[in-house]
Amino acid sequence: MTSKITASQTIGPFPHEAWRWAVDLTAGVDSSAPTIRITGAVFDGDGAAINDAWIEAWMPDSAPLETAHAIPGYRRVPSGEQGGFTLQVSLPVSLPPAAASGKPAAYITVFARGLTKHQFTAVFLEDDAGLAQSELLGQVPPQRRDTLIARKQADGSYLWNIHMQGAQETVFFDYT
Amino acid sequence: MQFDAIEPGVYPELIHPAYKSTLKRGSTLAPLRVRDEQAVTTNLFASPKLILPHDMDLTAQGKGEPLGEKIVVTGRVLDEDGKPVRNSLLEVWQCNAAGRYWHKKDQHDAPLDPNFTGFGKMLTDDDGRYRFVTIKPGPYPWGNHHKAWRPAHIHFSMFGNVYAQRLVTQMYFPSDPLFEYDPIFQSIPDAAARQRLISRFSLEQTVDDKMLGYEFDIVLRGRDATPMGL
Repeated sequence: MTSKITASQTIGPFPHEAWRWAVDLTAGVDSSAPTIRITGAVFDGDGAAINDAWIEAWMPDSAPLETAHAIPGYRRVPSGEQGGFTLQVSLPVSLPPAAASGKPAAYITVFARGLTKHQFTAVFLEDDAGLAQSELLGQVPPQRRDTLIARKQADGSYLWNIHMQGAQETVFFDYT
Repeated sequence: MQFDAIEPGVYPELIHPAYKSTLKRGSTLAPLRVRDEQAVTTNLFASPKLILPHDMDLTAQGKGEPLGEKIVVTGRVLDEDGKPVRNSLLEVWQCNAAGRYWHKKDQHDAPLDPNFTGFGKMLTDDDGRYRFVTIKPGPYPWGNHHKAWRPAHIHFSMFGNVYAQRLVTQMYFPSDPLFEYDPIFQSIPDAAARQRLISRFSLEQTVDDKMLGYEFDIVLRGRDATPMGL
């Protein structure tokens, strides 16, 4: 072995109080751009809701629009008792509907008890006309791309569920 | 930065049957190796203003002194080139000396300490170094199997300098008799990789007659993207 990297270990079931500060600091969105809402839930391989998962979102293109934030372009949310989470995203001009970008609306990191390491994924908006040309999505096998696309709902929000395992397993990344 | 594939055995198994909650939560598919410029070049900005006065001294957050053995934990956060990861946000959390977390769902029959919540945060300095003062956490039972007890540990959460360096791990203490019985620790197949999660006692970091010192260095994934020798 030549690698000296530090291995991951699970966050376990008890980070809530320690991680709350960043939840509180990133709960309200004060953006110079329009915002959208992405809601969803986290499920295990049996389809059961995971009620102690954590979602972090990193939105590099949104960060410049959120200069009033303590941590611009970043969100942290715990999943609720039904596994649910909501993310509010400031939409830069590089994302739809302003542009056909093919870029993710957010880079997503998932943590939970029972995950021995965090999982990286990303969420795209279905009405992005640039999805077919997306550099990142283009690296995902076509039959699995749907797992990364949030679907527009009647109320204007987007729905995106995360499946840790199973037939609908979300695509998880290892960046090179 | 660029990220080499993790060598087999260095990271824990995503499904490690002895750690029961991995069975339905661990991914069954290998993660997809992808190239994405923003993931390896951008990151959140961690302002020094995020760090509050007692975030680096977990023994100074209550009205009085917490119970237990006061210790100092320090180390450097480096990347795979050995370069310091500077001005990087790092969170820690842990149970108290009796093995109880400040958490409404922790049912362990051990006392809370009103003077100890067990969480802190800090930024690494120009040398990649972090340092915090705390109470040595206790072992605790966790119900995974009969007589399942976790070795004493402190949780670390690191944001690195680019998004893809994100890491959450646990730091252990030397010579813990529970290592060989702990499926979370043992979920890492490679023995050397497991050893790297164990802090070492440091007389140098020990502060007089105040507290013992422990050193724990962390190597995040990622190296300079500039090819060498070209």
